[in-house]
Amino acid sequence: MLLFSLKPHCKLTFLVLLLWVSLLVGSNSGVELDESLTYIWPLPSEFTSGNQTLTVDPALSLSVLGKGGYSEILKEGFERYKKIIFKHASGISLFQKLRGIRSVYDISELRIIVNSDSEELQLGVDESYALFVAKNDGKSIVGEATIEANTVYGALRGLETFSQLCAFNYETKSVQIYKAPWYIKDNPRFAFRGLLLDTSRHYLPIDVIKQIIESMSYAKLNVLHWHIIDEESFPLEVPSYPKLWNGAYTKWERYTVEDASEIVSFAKMRGIHVMAEVDVPGHAESWGAGYPDLWPSSSCREPLDISKNFTFELISGILSDIRKIFPFELFHLGGDEVHTDCWTSTPHIKQWLNDHNMTAKDAYQYFVLKAQEIAISKDWTPVNWEETFNSFPSKLNPRTVVHNWLGPGVCPKAVAKGFKCIFSNQGAWYLDHLDVPWNQVYSAEPLEGINNVSEQNLVLGGEVCMWGETADASNVQQTIWPRAAAAAERLWSKREALSVRNITSTILPRYHYFRCLLNRRGVQAAPATNFYARRPPTGPGSCYEQ
Amino acid sequence: MLHLCGKPHFRYSCLMFLVWVFQLVGLNSGFGLDSGLNQSLTYIWPLPCEHTSGNETLTVNPALSLSIIGHGGSFRILREGFRRYKRIIFKFSSGISVSRNSRRIRSLYDISALRIIVKSGSDELKLGVDESYTLFVDKTEGKSIVWETIIEASTIYGALRGLETFSQLCAFDYTTKSVQISRAPWYIKDKPRFAYRGLLLDTSRHHFPVDAIKSIIESMSYAKLILMHFLSRYLHIQNCGMVLTQNGSAIPSRMRVELSGIHVMAEVDVPGHAESWGAGYPDLWPNATCREPLDVTKNFTFDLISGILSEIREIFPFELFHLGGDEVNTDLWASFVLTDCWNKTRHVKQWLDKNKMKPKDAYRYFVLKAQEIAISKNWTPVNWEETFNAFAKNLNPRTVVHNWLGPGVCPKAVAKGFKCIFSNQNVWYLDHLDVSWDEVYYAEPLEGIGNASKQELVIGGEVCMWGETVDTSNVQQTIWPRAAAAAERLWSTEEALSADNNSVLQRLQYFRCLLNRRGVQAAPVTNYYARNPPSGSGSCYWQ
Repeated sequence: MLLFSLKPHCKLTFLVLLLWVSLLVGSNSGVELDESLTYIWPLPSEFTSGNQTLTVDPALSLSVLGKGGYSEILKEGFERYKKIIFKHASGISLFQKLRGIRSVYDISELRIIVNSDSEELQLGVDESYALFVAKNDGKSIVGEATIEANTVYGALRGLETFSQLCAFNYETKSVQIYKAPWYIKDNPRFAFRGLLLDTSRHYLPIDVIKQIIESMSYAKLNVLHWHIIDEESFPLEVPSYPKLWNGAYTKWERYTVEDASEIVSFAKMRGIHVMAEVDVPGHAESWGAGYPDLWPSSSCREPLDISKNFTFELISGILSDIRKIFPFELFHLGGDEVHTDCWTSTPHIKQWLNDHNMTAKDAYQYFVLKAQEIAISKDWTPVNWEETFNSFPSKLNPRTVVHNWLGPGVCPKAVAKGFKCIFSNQGAWYLDHLDVPWNQVYSAEPLEGINNVSEQNLVLGGEVCMWGETADASNVQQTIWPRAAAAAERLWSKREALSVRNITSTILPRYHYFRCLLNRRGVQAAPATNFYARRPPTGPGSCYEQ
Repeated sequence: MLHLCGKPHFRYSCLMFLVWVFQLVGLNSGFGLDSGLNQSLTYIWPLPCEHTSGNETLTVNPALSLSIIGHGGSFRILREGFRRYKRIIFKFSSGISVSRNSRRIRSLYDISALRIIVKSGSDELKLGVDESYTLFVDKTEGKSIVWETIIEASTIYGALRGLETFSQLCAFDYTTKSVQISRAPWYIKDKPRFAYRGLLLDTSRHHFPVDAIKSIIESMSYAKLILMHFLSRYLHIQNCGMVLTQNGSAIPSRMRVELSGIHVMAEVDVPGHAESWGAGYPDLWPNATCREPLDVTKNFTFDLISGILSEIREIFPFELFHLGGDEVNTDLWASFVLTDCWNKTRHVKQWLDKNKMKPKDAYRYFVLKAQEIAISKNWTPVNWEETFNAFAKNLNPRTVVHNWLGPGVCPKAVAKGFKCIFSNQNVWYLDHLDVSWDEVYYAEPLEGIGNASKQELVIGGEVCMWGETVDTSNVQQTIWPRAAAAAERLWSTEEALSADNNSVLQRLQYFRCLLNRRGVQAAPVTNYYARNPPSGSGSCYWQ
């Protein structure tokens, strides 16, 4: 129907059609996967495979062993993955009837051994696992699939890997595992593998946040950095200061305490931490919608008024309230992009600065350190954007985690001074930078410039940041994926496995494959190789090529 | 974190920031919670045929119960629908764990039961199925005031539409943390203006996983669209003769679709647009280098079409079947391009000469023969308008003409007694990204048709989501919210639609945010190009 329409994309369509036809001619029936590659994303640290093909029973049962085997988290995880693995088989009863398939499956049971019964989810929780899939070798009656892990969270990572081994075969209409037997031994390279979500620039409905958390688990990301509030809007309920969420865009674009708790427990079921951020003293204009006293003046609205006790009482009140929601030990205090003009131009604050013999810069330091103290008093480890480290490293609380963003080279400096560090160099890992191609995301290395092993250990990991200026519920997933997956492999897999010579022939096909896996699971991951991220496909074609 | 970055969108951000500050100033207290939502409007999309409302606010019990009264039949579909809507309505309340013991556990709700009365026991889903319903949220005054919520419908499908409307009356109130219905009592009497309210999904240019198709179908039901025109031109044909769409996965199961009360109309587009068929059966190509239209000379071609149709008849119970027939035009340029293969292939040329046919005669011959096959399978054939434009008087009189090339075709088709579907590409092709929401909204399927009996031949309209530049990553945001504009055009009465632009826009923005809340990636409404990202920070309700 479209050849007649002379719309701009028409020319492209023709071009792509030509390409497609030539592909058809060239490769007979379209895309063939390079069978020598391992289509597991992120790549496990050790694995061996064989050349058998095993069928998996749609009625796959779970048998558990070990102290942690009876965890609800594990049981729900298994049910979740079963739905993912056997998505297809359920929809084709007609064909099954026609064919009358009633065969015996190679794998009918998944055995999961969890050694510890602790479900505590803290930074550095043991996520290692071993996964073994083999055919009946004659000694035992059935083939077996076994996951062994120390914690239930390691078992969840193993389940994800197992689900990626399973693929629906359209010829036999059954789920199969190729290249068996598999022996996989896996653990993450970094403990902190994060994604920042900004719900202030655009409100994201609870369902959307849940979809994002679910998709993070597919790439084994494990920290949701929830940048809940910013200068644009204040969507979160704070019971002690109930007017704060008057700063929401509308009365529907808000999160109740219950919503936030639900997010945290939803994430925990998937082994994902939620690190909340309350960004002070800049980026806080929206706070004043309910409490105008927080503004230096009604015409000069941020940073928060440093001269009033009320400001710090309120911060303490917020932190007390949300401490109950966010059990994760890290808490982000922001501290970035503080422009102190409002302090120096507002008479009562200028007076206060004079009284305390402070420059604006001193006042910034004073504010940040005071906020750190409050966080620490609530038993939180403070995280700050790198500006605080850049401005007054020797004054920062030594427990501070420095969150890099402005550019490369910050983590080396921070760890040299004994601080922990999170890598988010905006040139590579800011997902709103749409012109960063996947291979730049992929090759950004958190440990670059850090050679000393004990200093390397201070790099907790890294985080891709999805700032919300141009991302809302309609396009946030396609802006996050697939590039977040490139960072996820960087953060999970062994450095040696990543530093291959020909990224296009070795990594790219796997990356394409994972993008299509996300699509199959209902995640709107965008085409992988467009020049700008989240752009539509340029024409007809296979997901595996675009 | 972003003000330092000098990326291209920064300028936009600045602009939007100004706009936003301006709004802030205008709204007095800044972060205005009511943000100018006009309370006099009715935020139900599409707008019901008749409705009256009051000014009371009621609370709805999260343990809302359902009772169904009706003539036996299968209410499984209805129960399942109720469960679906309950999940949608009470999305928020479920999270009460932290402050369960703090405030507000209200034991007294105004509405704790929903009664559904269904008159017919049949659950057959065919074109023109009765979708009318009435919905009351009303009080009976005895000793004490009792609120009643009743949906009355002739069929379960009408009841499903009523459930959708009910779900749109319910809104979560963040102050009391409960689901409320405001402006009660409600009295709504509703039915669709057109029986055929379709969305075309092109699964040939990009493959869509089953999950993606399911979520599109689910979202269609929110806008009361009733038909998915399911197109898969590149059929993969297996040796056993079984027919599968690309990768075999793309056919949604019959059950799933019935559950949402949505028809699925399949399309097998012949004789053009069929090159991919020959990947499995090269005999279908005129020759190895010239591959479409399908070889008109061979019995095998028609045997195979017949075989395909037999196979898929069971999957697609809907009475309409789309045979394509487009872009095999017979005007000079087009015939040169598109039936060129017939002229250039020796055995086809010989066959044409022997039968004294020109390519355009052969095109007609092919289309009519395909129509016969479809009719023999008890299907009513639908064809793109080219077949009507080229040989109207030869077309089987049962043919439904599917307009697309431009305006004015349905008037001609119904004048000749054919049924017609309106899809004028200038307004209802969703891949045309430069068509604004109001152009979609104000397109009128009955334009140019004055005679009431002729108007009845227009069975409705369809927005078309061609797949050149949509895949799983962006299909929903290309479909929505503009498909909703057409959905209201097709559902609501003409009088309701003639409201002023601004109030329609507010209601559409509200519906777009409703879609977002339900997890549908509906794009900002007022961007110049459809599916473009928001141009800066801001509320869903403004963008």
